[in-house]
Amino acid sequence: MPAALLVAEHLTRMFDTRVAVSDLSLSVNAGEVVTLLGPNGAGKTTTMRMLAGLILPTSGRIAINHIELSAETANEARRLVGLLTEAPGLWERLTVRLNLLTYARLHGLSEPQRQVDEALALVELSDRAGEQAGKLSKGLKQRLAIARALIHRPPVVLLDEPTSGLDPASARHTRDLIHTLRADQRAVLVSTHNLAEAEELSDRIAVLKTRLLAIDAPAALRRRIAGATVTIEVEGDAARWSNFVGAIDGTTADASGSRLTVTVSSLSAVPDLVSALVSAGARIQRVVPDQRTLEEVYLDLVGAG
Amino acid sequence: MSRAAGSSRQRIGAVARKDAAELVRNPGAILPAIAMSLGSLVPAFIVVIGAPMIAGETLQQSGEFADEAQAAAVLVPELANLTGNALIQAFLFHQFLLLLLLVPVVGAMALATHAVIGEKQSRALEPLLSTPISTVELLAAKTLTPFVFSLGLTWITGLLYLAGILAVGEPGVWRSILGFRTFLMFVVLGPLVELAALQLSVIVSSRASDPRSAQQISSLMILPITAVFVAQLMASSIVSHAEIMIGAFGCLVLNAILLWIGVRVFQRETILMRWK
Repeated sequence: MPAALLVAEHLTRMFDTRVAVSDLSLSVNAGEVVTLLGPNGAGKTTTMRMLAGLILPTSGRIAINHIELSAETANEARRLVGLLTEAPGLWERLTVRLNLLTYARLHGLSEPQRQVDEALALVELSDRAGEQAGKLSKGLKQRLAIARALIHRPPVVLLDEPTSGLDPASARHTRDLIHTLRADQRAVLVSTHNLAEAEELSDRIAVLKTRLLAIDAPAALRRRIAGATVTIEVEGDAARWSNFVGAIDGTTADASGSRLTVTVSSLSAVPDLVSALVSAGARIQRVVPDQRTLEEVYLDLVGAG
Repeated sequence: MSRAAGSSRQRIGAVARKDAAELVRNPGAILPAIAMSLGSLVPAFIVVIGAPMIAGETLQQSGEFADEAQAAAVLVPELANLTGNALIQAFLFHQFLLLLLLVPVVGAMALATHAVIGEKQSRALEPLLSTPISTVELLAAKTLTPFVFSLGLTWITGLLYLAGILAVGEPGVWRSILGFRTFLMFVVLGPLVELAALQLSVIVSSRASDPRSAQQISSLMILPITAVFVAQLMASSIVSHAEIMIGAFGCLVLNAILLWIGVRVFQRETILMRWK
């Protein structure tokens, strides 16, 4: 059983009377990448800040690497978390190296220079160490911010929109880095708006809109929502079979040429449907199940579809 | 995974060193302090040296300030051994010494507002706060670099003042400046005034979005010093040792109040949510 390095139970955070996050429970295991998906204002950044020990929840509990987070333990817990904030927040007048060196010192690392070199190598910025941070491109600034978040080799890594606004090559580099972190047995929580990225990166996806709407593996999440479509190609005119299929419980059909687009309650109903059509004399040439996209699932969950 | 310890001193030092490195790369923050340093030196030499040169007679010959200087010599031991033109020069140089206290105030304001607002503008506070640094350590770090820099600049300004007096003043005048009064001004009152200006600047900066508006509010600290300086000129007297110590005590109380406010302003959550 993999170890949960990050555990949140029934987290609620209020700002005055406004509820930013309500009753959120999730965990992230070592070697796992979980993505937080949600619309703007869904509470993703507030969740990240709570999990990083920056703000305390109004209620609920957080454990980071088995340390219960509280006002007393927050400083200790912050040593175990690497946070990439939404904005890089670099000291732009300073060099790349000095930016990292300051964080190495803040974390009290024993060999700051060596650890700065390692962090620079990890994000492939070794050759830019002497440059002023403010003169780097947006993608390189993001790499530097990631190096800063990882310099103390935290077991838990929180990345708030790590590829936002990056060009494809920089985004690719960042995603590769996240795969590396997973391989290195870190617990990684990523917040993103990019559904394709979430699907590619994540072991599990958590859909958040103030409260947790769903958390599951991408494929399971797609299956979770009721309803699926299947395209059945028949010999001859498909309109012949649309009434027959429409008469089956929980099924609707549209015909176009030789194609019959059938909506079923779930993909598990498709074999029986095909069998019924064959029994009725239909000559079936092809059956193509259309899985729902993650986008459809997401929009359905957050009620924006 | 490397575990990090790190002491409070290390963390404060890390941020203070970073701030120092940023300051030397930010002429906009340093120039007002340097301008104030140079500007505070000029008036004394214009009055004590320049004006008599233009008039073609010494201060003693003009008869101005003679009685006031004699009266001050009774109250201020540093003036006791001087006579004639030297006594009048020393009296005036001691009066203008108060003007040098504007250097730590202006320096602290200029540097502290940049140190805090710079972080806000670059959105560097959130990653900084995600480290093990406590907010009290952060407050200490944010005041340390401006404090050391401004105090250093004040002492350098004092040395320049002394060197100027040594170069153009009557013999023995410079020695009167090296007394207990100057010690009180530069080692007791000056740092306390500076610390109060720093704390006020940091507190104001937490609510301001650009350094200039923060400096305008913080410049309130200049008023008491200017008022005392003007009162000194009007009354043709010198602030005595006892009055300096009373001022220092007042600053100590003010610092305690500002620290109490500062610690409350420097809460992680306040910084993240309310500092815009």
